Amino acid sequence: MSLLQPLGLLGLLAIPVLILIYIIKSKYTEQVISSTYLWTLSERFLKRKNPIKTITGIISLILQILAVIFISIALAHPVFTLPGKANDYCFILDGSGSMNIVYDGKSRFEHGKDEIRSIINSAADGSTFTLITTGNTTDMIYKESDDKRMAVRRLNETASAYVASDFSSAAKVAQSYFNENSACKFYLVTDKEVGSAVNAEVINVAGTAFNYGVDGVSYAFNVNGGVTVSGTAFSYESDADITVDLFFDDSKVAAASKTLSLKRGQGEKFTIEKAPEEGQSAVEFRSLRVAIREKDSLSLDNQAVLYNTRSDASYNTLVVSDTPFFINATLDSAGNIKRTVVSPKDYTAEMRGYGLYIFQNFTPDKMPEDGAVWFINPDSGVDGTSGFALRGVEKFEGSTVELSMNKSSSSRVKNLLKGTNSADKTSVTEYVKCGLYRSFTTLLTCNNDPVVFAGSNSYGNREVVFAIDLVNTSDFALSYNGRVLTYNLLEYTFPSLVDQTIFYAGESLPVNVLANCSGIRVESPSGKAEYLDTSSAITDYELTEVGEYVITATVGGNRQSVRVFSQLPVAERIVTTTEASFVISGEPSEHKRDGKYEDLLYAFVILAVIVVADWLVYCYEQYQLR
Amino acid sequence: MANTVIDEELLQQIELLQTLIKNNVAGMFGGNHKSKSYGSSCEFADYREYTPGDDITKIDWNAYARFEKLYTKLFLDERQMHTRIYIDASYSMGYGKGKKDEQAIRLAAALAYLSVCEMDKVSVYTVQNKQLECVISGMLGKESYINSISALNDITFAGDSFLSDAIIPSTVGYGDGMSIIISDFLTDNNYEAAIDHLVGKKRHVLCVQLLSQEELAPKARGKMHFFDSEDTGKYYRKNINRDIIHAYKMAVEYATGRIREYCAARGADYMLICAEDPLNKVFFENLIDEGVIK
Repeated sequence: MSLLQPLGLLGLLAIPVLILIYIIKSKYTEQVISSTYLWTLSERFLKRKNPIKTITGIISLILQILAVIFISIALAHPVFTLPGKANDYCFILDGSGSMNIVYDGKSRFEHGKDEIRSIINSAADGSTFTLITTGNTTDMIYKESDDKRMAVRRLNETASAYVASDFSSAAKVAQSYFNENSACKFYLVTDKEVGSAVNAEVINVAGTAFNYGVDGVSYAFNVNGGVTVSGTAFSYESDADITVDLFFDDSKVAAASKTLSLKRGQGEKFTIEKAPEEGQSAVEFRSLRVAIREKDSLSLDNQAVLYNTRSDASYNTLVVSDTPFFINATLDSAGNIKRTVVSPKDYTAEMRGYGLYIFQNFTPDKMPEDGAVWFINPDSGVDGTSGFALRGVEKFEGSTVELSMNKSSSSRVKNLLKGTNSADKTSVTEYVKCGLYRSFTTLLTCNNDPVVFAGSNSYGNREVVFAIDLVNTSDFALSYNGRVLTYNLLEYTFPSLVDQTIFYAGESLPVNVLANCSGIRVESPSGKAEYLDTSSAITDYELTEVGEYVITATVGGNRQSVRVFSQLPVAERIVTTTEASFVISGEPSEHKRDGKYEDLLYAFVILAVIVVADWLVYCYEQYQLR
Repeated sequence: MANTVIDEELLQQIELLQTLIKNNVAGMFGGNHKSKSYGSSCEFADYREYTPGDDITKIDWNAYARFEKLYTKLFLDERQMHTRIYIDASYSMGYGKGKKDEQAIRLAAALAYLSVCEMDKVSVYTVQNKQLECVISGMLGKESYINSISALNDITFAGDSFLSDAIIPSTVGYGDGMSIIISDFLTDNNYEAAIDHLVGKKRHVLCVQLLSQEELAPKARGKMHFFDSEDTGKYYRKNINRDIIHAYKMAVEYATGRIREYCAARGADYMLICAEDPLNKVFFENLIDEGVIK
């Protein structure tokens, strides 16, 4: 036994003082009575004294001495050593996304924490605890802590992640600790069925659960302005009939629904179509949400959200044209685009401050420096800055020539031509022959001459050239491909911060650092904000949560926001998963730690009993309570 | 001490009572109590043959007509009683919550009035240490009672009391009435000798033991250190518990029983009176029940 505070034993000095006080101060109540005759006479009738009763006079003193002894001992804080009674414990807590599955009112992760708490609390004092968590990263939260309260408190603070767990990394960390302390008992707390565990005891917290999920959700606009949402629904534990609802924006009322019969573990593809409402030319939405109506054990994968980045954007456009009808119609249907229309004769070089300048049948003397530029049927090139020069007009008298679509496999071409229909043909009766002396991406050609091409001008701003008259000498404006291509080029002109709006947790989100971008802020679903590096063209951000992320960029003094949705990884949605093995190699040692007992509770209980007993004795003496 | 209030209503009720003297009184003067000798009261006692010189008015002529002999009627004589009241004026009677001193004085005053109403002579004495002091001497008649009774208020309770040493040497009379001793009798001093002496003097003895309620059933508990009011050298220091209280009650029974039995053995009357009891209860319950008065 050792004493943490040996000076506490100085309290024992109170014992002689107590005895002295007891001797000096009589506790007898003095009283003068008329005669002591009867009291003295009563001695004759008193029964023989019980020897035990002889100490009753000092029982109060005895109790008070005992109280002083216990107080002194408690102050000294004795610690009893219990040889070989304690252990070292190391817990590897799986914090993967599947640990969010709920049963019996608590998530698997919480059940796991309960198991660990139970082991910590029942462990002998003197034991040490190490906690390793897997999740976004594998971390050793604390190591060889012998403070139970701290260990439990830090355990309580841990939260599960939404990504797949990296068991190999966890095993590596555990192995490293095992090499230091081979006597440690390892516990792997997970919801996975581990094939073989070496030098570790598996605590499975899978419980009973069932789960549905949606995955691979995407949407496409139809020719009629409607939208088709497609995806795959799963039931991971049993066959089930479910209903998938489609919601637009923040509406709580489903715009469309689909009932599906799911087979266990097999994905069921679905499509939900939504036609435009009466009076609408196209379905308009800022976001759409696909959600499974039925409740299950894991709600995180029951919905997917897609965002219409086109509608999210807000741009200021200057249209320089005498016949802006087609352009106006296109911009109106493209989204939240403000436009100012001026006649070419009214255009001056002082008209600046727009995100996009569209010049139709007109070429300015000087290129705008602060925004993207579209040239439609240009009458000349701008020397040195536009990157192209005109070589005359090619006319097909009395006949039309079909434009050819670039068939390159380059991602940029594919991206710019996405949604176009190869069967849909666009014909022209004339076009402007252009010579390109900058790197442009050609999208449509005529007789191998570039007709529609896109690139960047010498100011670093995006530039799109339509070397045709969109209405009079071509059917571009009226064709399906013309419309789709115009939308795609608008997107290209106003590059979005993100190319894709739906990801899985654990994936990297590539964020485009736009020209003149001074800062990018990402806010996670839980509200955590982070600022990204803007020094490179693309910056990556690790998605660790499930839900809606908001990315806000400050571009040239304006703020531009986009949202992306992070889904639970597919592997973490499966209710019952297996892990081949969890191996900590090496020969475990039988060495045990010395336990210690330092709980003062019993001392305080005994002290309380003594105080109560002393009080009862006092009452007994004073009032003869019986 | 404070003036003792005499309850006039009680005195009026007491007037209706009469002391019961067991022995015929042999007083010097006529009174209301029967004497052993023949006298001139109205109560017929016997006949004897007429001898010359007898009062001829006492001849029973009816008897002469029947027996042709002269018989003279004899009547009982009624004598005056001399009631002597001895008050224990020790410190133990005056100390404590019980007011034994007040009760003793009130009782003495009431008993004196009873005797005065019966045309008896009353003397009141106090016993202090070994001294007997006469407070009221030969009080006779209500007027004398009213004039003298306030002297009881001047009694000072102090010191010890030795009843025998004080009473025996004094004049106690012979066969002429009642001797009343009012005391707590909380002493081992030889009071039995005084009783024997008075009984030997053909006195009708009444011992009134006055004890306070606290003395009869003490409420003190716990560690107590009692000092004797008469002698602070005497003390009793104990943790008063149930056993001691039980022993104390047995001691009370023993002390009161001893004097009761002693009195009974000698034809004396004994009364145990609680100091807190009202006086009318003492007279109309205790004294009547004991056959001291009627």
